[in-house]
Amino acid sequence: MAGKGSIVCGFIAPHPPHLVYGENPPQNIPRSSGGWEVLRWAYDNCRAKIKQLKPDVIVVHTPHWMTLVGHHVSRVPRLKGLSVDPIFPHLFRYRFDTAIDVELADAVYDEARAEGLIARKMTNPNFRLDYGTIVTSHMLNPDWDIPILSLSANNSPYYFSLNVGIEEMYKLGRATRRAIEKTGRRAVLAASNTLSHLHFDREPDPNLPEDMSKEHVFSHANYLWDMRVLGLMRSGRMDELLAVLPEFIERTGAEVKSGGLFWMLAAMGFPKVPARVHGYWSVIATGNAVVEWDLSAAGGDGANADA
Amino acid sequence: MPEGRIVRGYLMPGMPHVMLPRDAASRQELRRACRTAGANALEARPDVLVIFSTQWISVLGHLVQARANPCGLHVDENWYDLGDLPYDFRTDVELARKTIELGTAAGLQVRAVDYEGFPVDTGTLVALDFLNPKNEIPVVCMSCNIYAGREEELALGRAAADAVRALGRRAVAVLSSGLSGHYFTREISDAEDHIASPEDDAHNRAMLDLMAAGKCREAMDRVPDYAAKTGADMQFKGYYWLMGAMEAGRITGKLLGYGSIWGSGAAVVEFSA
Repeated sequence: MAGKGSIVCGFIAPHPPHLVYGENPPQNIPRSSGGWEVLRWAYDNCRAKIKQLKPDVIVVHTPHWMTLVGHHVSRVPRLKGLSVDPIFPHLFRYRFDTAIDVELADAVYDEARAEGLIARKMTNPNFRLDYGTIVTSHMLNPDWDIPILSLSANNSPYYFSLNVGIEEMYKLGRATRRAIEKTGRRAVLAASNTLSHLHFDREPDPNLPEDMSKEHVFSHANYLWDMRVLGLMRSGRMDELLAVLPEFIERTGAEVKSGGLFWMLAAMGFPKVPARVHGYWSVIATGNAVVEWDLSAAGGDGANADA
Repeated sequence: MPEGRIVRGYLMPGMPHVMLPRDAASRQELRRACRTAGANALEARPDVLVIFSTQWISVLGHLVQARANPCGLHVDENWYDLGDLPYDFRTDVELARKTIELGTAAGLQVRAVDYEGFPVDTGTLVALDFLNPKNEIPVVCMSCNIYAGREEELALGRAAADAVRALGRRAVAVLSSGLSGHYFTREISDAEDHIASPEDDAHNRAMLDLMAAGKCREAMDRVPDYAAKTGADMQFKGYYWLMGAMEAGRITGKLLGYGSIWGSGAAVVEFSA
């Protein structure tokens, strides 16, 4: 496959394992009586959209594969195993089995290096996919009938500074876009991260994690920040969004800092089309939104390809 | 029941570079020191190894491994190209449960994990490779809470020591932790490896000197400043845990080896009364 590929859609696709737990899919061992429905219904819209778009690949940038030296791409044709969440093992013990788009992995690696980034190919077949990749991939496509490509989160925004991290993610975004175009893929991108990220330091009820009477966003201030950021996305005010994200991260501990959103926006050419917010709710007090940028109407091109 | 106590303690690096690849000629001082620690620990005839690893990160309190026989294959998320880490060890479940009970009584949030496939971290497995290569000694492993401070880690260490005493165990306490945490963000060869800066090196050596002089409590008081200046591994909070377990005022450290791993500081220190 080669030629002019395109990014058809991008999602902010948060990865709390609670969402899989609440759904009770056959792959996950723990059972629940539900919970976090508003976010799960939001993902239902994304699933329908992906079925309609029939992309070749879902590319996931995950903060739970944190790498110290460069940006890593999963580069094994198939990965399978049991993923147990190290933080919430009582909620998430998931048997995953997925195809990896290794041709695209090679292309992202090459283009990342062309951008001057350090990149590595993860070729160990025993590698256990992180739960961020798995939860996001499951929530977007529980049938796992579309190959994925998992990209690590380089530690640069934490080790150096947010600005250094953002610059790296803009380069990785451009690299990803070129790789998709050169390999002829129709790709969906997923930034696997929450918005505000301050959380409870104890589960309200470990014996009934899905007790929604105990669930609320960490603070009104965090809620207002999440709404402000979502408002900018919904109205397509991309320049204002990019300007406010650093303060948003500082004030709310937003997981956006790990880079996925910056990467995705850069890959999509910083689109000024209004984003669609499918749903927002808290998970152990963190702010989570499922947000879609649909580029398919424009032939898969971002609105501002000169990123 | 014999009198239970922690007879020896170790600070050891948790990075896989000290054990993988098996035939590597790099970092010989650290490798030798880890092997010496393993031999000395065995000589102490422990009933159990109690391990705190900075690479087992928890968010909601502390976690303690309570599965009787954790087994599986671990691949490090950064250093997967060095090789796989198969594991198959026995947990001292009674001691694990007692540690949880006493930690909880001390006001900590401590929970058991007993799940097939629960990821055992690289730091724990590196320690076990040197201290328990035949998996003959039962183990109790516990996590490093990213939000915990000095008092919480001291309390968890004391809870582990109290549990050892209560059950009459003869234990070796192991802290799997690095020292200075600044690392190279580019590819390097083993031959290029060195402590990331002379300042980090000086701070590491000063900290190790205090331990070797028996000034373990003073070293503990210096941890916040040391951690801030060197970006120490998990703020070097694991040292609080070890001092809580071993009672800082009554022990002396003996430096077995010091070196760098990808720019970060690493040392093997043996603590005894």
